[in-house]
Amino acid sequence: MTDSLVHLLKIDPWPPHPGLLFWLALTLVCAAVFGGVMHRYLRLPRVLGYGIVGVAVALVGMGTSDATLDGTDRLIVDLAMALLLFELGSRVSLRWLRVNKALWLTSAAESMLGFGAAFAVLHEAGMATDVALAGAPVLGVAAGALIGRIAAETRSAGQVTERMIVLSALNTLYAVLLGRVLIGGLYLGHQHDIVQGLAQPLYAFGGATLLALLLAHAVGWVVRRYDLRDENSVLLVLGLLLFALTLARMLGLSGLLVPLLGGVCLRNLSERPCIWPRHFGTAGAMPVVVMFVLVGATWSGPMLASGGVLALVVLGVRLLAKGVALVGLASLSGIETRQGMALALTQAPVSATSLVLLADLQASHPQVAAQIAPAALSAIALMALAGPVLIYLGLRLAKELP
Amino acid sequence: MSLGTFADSRSLTLGVELELQIVNRHDYDLCPSSTDLLRLMKGHKLPGDVTPEITDSMIELCTGICASHAEVLEQLTVTRDALVGCAERLNLGLSGGGTHPFQHWSERRIFDKQRFHEVSALYGYLAKQFTVFGQHVHIGCAGPDQALTLLHGLSRFIPHLIALSAASPYFQGEDTGFDSARLNSVFAFPLSGRAPFVTSWDGFNAFFDKMARTGVVKSMKDFYWDIRPKPEYGTIEVRVLDTPLTIEKAAALAGYIQCLARWLRVDKPFEPSEDDYLPYTFNRFQACRFGLEGTFVDPATGEHRRLRDDIDASFAALEIHAMELRAEDAITYLRRELAGSGNDAGWLRARHAEERLLPELVRRQCLRWAGKE
Repeated sequence: MTDSLVHLLKIDPWPPHPGLLFWLALTLVCAAVFGGVMHRYLRLPRVLGYGIVGVAVALVGMGTSDATLDGTDRLIVDLAMALLLFELGSRVSLRWLRVNKALWLTSAAESMLGFGAAFAVLHEAGMATDVALAGAPVLGVAAGALIGRIAAETRSAGQVTERMIVLSALNTLYAVLLGRVLIGGLYLGHQHDIVQGLAQPLYAFGGATLLALLLAHAVGWVVRRYDLRDENSVLLVLGLLLFALTLARMLGLSGLLVPLLGGVCLRNLSERPCIWPRHFGTAGAMPVVVMFVLVGATWSGPMLASGGVLALVVLGVRLLAKGVALVGLASLSGIETRQGMALALTQAPVSATSLVLLADLQASHPQVAAQIAPAALSAIALMALAGPVLIYLGLRLAKELP
Repeated sequence: MSLGTFADSRSLTLGVELELQIVNRHDYDLCPSSTDLLRLMKGHKLPGDVTPEITDSMIELCTGICASHAEVLEQLTVTRDALVGCAERLNLGLSGGGTHPFQHWSERRIFDKQRFHEVSALYGYLAKQFTVFGQHVHIGCAGPDQALTLLHGLSRFIPHLIALSAASPYFQGEDTGFDSARLNSVFAFPLSGRAPFVTSWDGFNAFFDKMARTGVVKSMKDFYWDIRPKPEYGTIEVRVLDTPLTIEKAAALAGYIQCLARWLRVDKPFEPSEDDYLPYTFNRFQACRFGLEGTFVDPATGEHRRLRDDIDASFAALEIHAMELRAEDAITYLRRELAGSGNDAGWLRARHAEERLLPELVRRQCLRWAGKE
């Protein structure tokens, strides 16, 4: 009966094979619904809803609970990170850091203490020095993309908002560079390959800076000549950004560093404000939503059982360490202690940046990555739910939400 | 409830208050950071004061009591430099101008102070729409009767002052076609407009008591008049000016008002009367809408003149008084501007025609306010 009906209606193949687009669409629908619920009924950031959908995806056995982020997942994450980090970078004013040197100091101190805390806990947990060192940027890095997303979504404004953006952008920059240096160090340590050991970080930074400068000049040219309220001009900028990302991937450069540095260069090459729609409109918002679902999808029972406790300890010690710097230097940099505490909360989560750094480590040194993965993935999974709430609480404590 | 006594003050002394815009340096929208800025300003010794305003993306600075235009400029320079320095530490911009060109009133937040919450509760959205920025000039008066006479004498020059100071052509992202769109927000308040024609302090007290009895007002602060007496300072306060884009212009406008006051007091060129107010709202509208090109109807003769020409004529009449008050530089500044961009609204429109981006316009305003353009 069914067969004849299927034959009559020419449904082929039967039973149907839901492809990538089906799952993508379903994810988008669920994320939009849960994001809406979070925002409307709980007044929490929508991104928390995306994370919950990700956890649900993981619980039905379709999660991403290993360190290899490849195929379509990697493409979506790279795309979304490029958009978010470019936006984040474009908020970093080097002029501000020149005028307010205490902010530089705060950035250096909170990053150093954060990476140091991650290293110390991993080392204390019995990992070898080089493994713990490689894990430091993965577990010490701030959740720049999440911060950028929540700042844009909640329209928060004030000193804590400005500083959480700048500090997380700089922290991401340090983490990627540190990661490359440490990967170079691993080549030196494990394979005694000096050329690889030095060339890796030099190329990573030099190449990324060059590409970022080209991107910034190109975007700056468009911004000066076209009105970014026009959809076509926004698509042009989006296209340039994707082009730069593709070049970075082709040349083996960091997909985090190029857009982030591109944004920083754009902001600082000219003082003229560059304003575009959030995440470059709906086209950009789609990968961003799916990426936060993927971050939530790192949730896995066995993984949490093996790395959950260590992840919690790393996150706790890291929060304390960063808090010491952010609260201790608050007054010197021009804010109150309460604002320093709020800032510490916003710098507590880890998110997609850690996932990408872990995936890069997995690609170059799978044995090292395998040792870090349980704690790192557990931290990312836990923070997929707690992260948006912590950042939101920080902004509330600072009274910067509308 | 009464007005109390009219404080002693030296005749023709000056005091200036300026409401400023606090903007972020990313998209140059208003930024709710007055608390942070005020905290950093606590460490600075100022000749005047810096205080919060109704929404937390505004800040007010004021001078102390000044004798001359030069002293006003000196005090404003000290406070401006301190404010700009603190703002830079916080990555904020400070800007003059009567309105922020593209802010949306609904996004504003009321500053956490009891009076501001009361105003907000009473006036609703008007309070947030009141995120507009004006310059107030106080003129010292030897006694209350003299103050009221001066108030009504100066009322004839309200259109001149509006046209000269106009710096708010853009509002909520659009060119309003007005040179001073700011005053449209002020006119929405029920107790805005002109003071009643009363020339004795006893008469004014009687008026205030009757108003207080109705429960409509509690203090002079409830009147949003264009010029109002300020008994506790012993001054009258001119309130129609948009905050100019520079402190030099703000000081020049204060100097011009001081000269007008001396002219009215010493030469007594006309006797104020209720009939002066017949074309008052027409003249005021013309000044707001068309600025220096607006029509001025002379209340005494009914003659129609261009405001630009009448202002030019007033400069000539004030020459001797400017010399006496050492305010020649103020008049020279305004004369030069009249011959150049006209007023700040003209400067803003010219820059926007070049840049075609309102956030860039605000950035240029910030540079101008900081004395860097």
